Amino acid sequence: MANKIKNPQELAALKEKAKADLDLRMGPKEIQITVHMGTCGIAAGARDVMAALMDELTTAGAQNVTLHQSGCLGLCDREPMFTLVDKAGQEFRYGKLTKKKVHRIVQQHVVGGSPVADDLIQA
Amino acid sequence: MRELSLHILDVIENSIRAGASIISVGIVEDVAGDVLEITVEDNGSGLNIPVEDALDPFHTTKDGKRIGLGLSLFQAAAEQAGGALTIDKSDLGGVAVKVTMSLSNIDRRPLGDLAATLSSVVCTNPDLDLWCRFSSGGPECVVRVSDVARELQVNERCGLAIARRVSEKIRNGLAGMSGRS
Repeated sequence: MANKIKNPQELAALKEKAKADLDLRMGPKEIQITVHMGTCGIAAGARDVMAALMDELTTAGAQNVTLHQSGCLGLCDREPMFTLVDKAGQEFRYGKLTKKKVHRIVQQHVVGGSPVADDLIQA
Repeated sequence: MRELSLHILDVIENSIRAGASIISVGIVEDVAGDVLEITVEDNGSGLNIPVEDALDPFHTTKDGKRIGLGLSLFQAAAEQAGGALTIDKSDLGGVAVKVTMSLSNIDRRPLGDLAATLSSVVCTNPDLDLWCRFSSGGPECVVRVSDVARELQVNERCGLAIARRVSEKIRNGLAGMSGRS
């Protein structure tokens, strides 16, 4: 049986704990990854890239990432691709992605903090 | 596109761009009548251009682009399989895209991994209520993201946790289909 709340201070502490838990899961995260899912991206395999990202982030236990989807970025020949924005606000565009590349990016960049230069789209 | 579920994802992307907060995806198999019917409806801002323009691959409403292939590719896939694509106004208030095709047609593409497709939408759109309806002659199976969310703890109602649960429910719903789509 759950412990009874004995006074207003305990209730306030419980509220703060619940809020912190919510912020952890639902609030702005440190890393934002946007998978580009226009027609070109979907045809090139963006759905599989998204599925691989979901699996890899779960396996890596990376709680600091929020996933988004967007339309075509205009670089159709580089699809499937995603844009990673790190906690400093710096953008990294990864292109021609495969499950293997997604694994490496999650391990090396999301977990390790070092961009995977080989897979970055050069400006 | 190698799977019909990818065409569905493409239409859903249009609905999200139209500001939809509710999207309904229906998959109905009529084995006796040899028909597969796919509908995607939304409560978005609706179609602001003629239907013929929406189906024209050289017409798009996106700024800075000259082509819009999504609906025309889905239409071509339907027609290759002896069917058609129609666009109408939805009872939800937005657009209803309806595709029919011959279930047994050799050129009909497979439905593909619909659970992975729709769960990716759920994962990346926490404010969207996605409704999925599956029917194969028997009772209709309905999966609504808002209903699934109520079964979860508050801190699991977005992101990967709800996406996984929705994926399981869709796989269970599809298990009740004939297996031909």
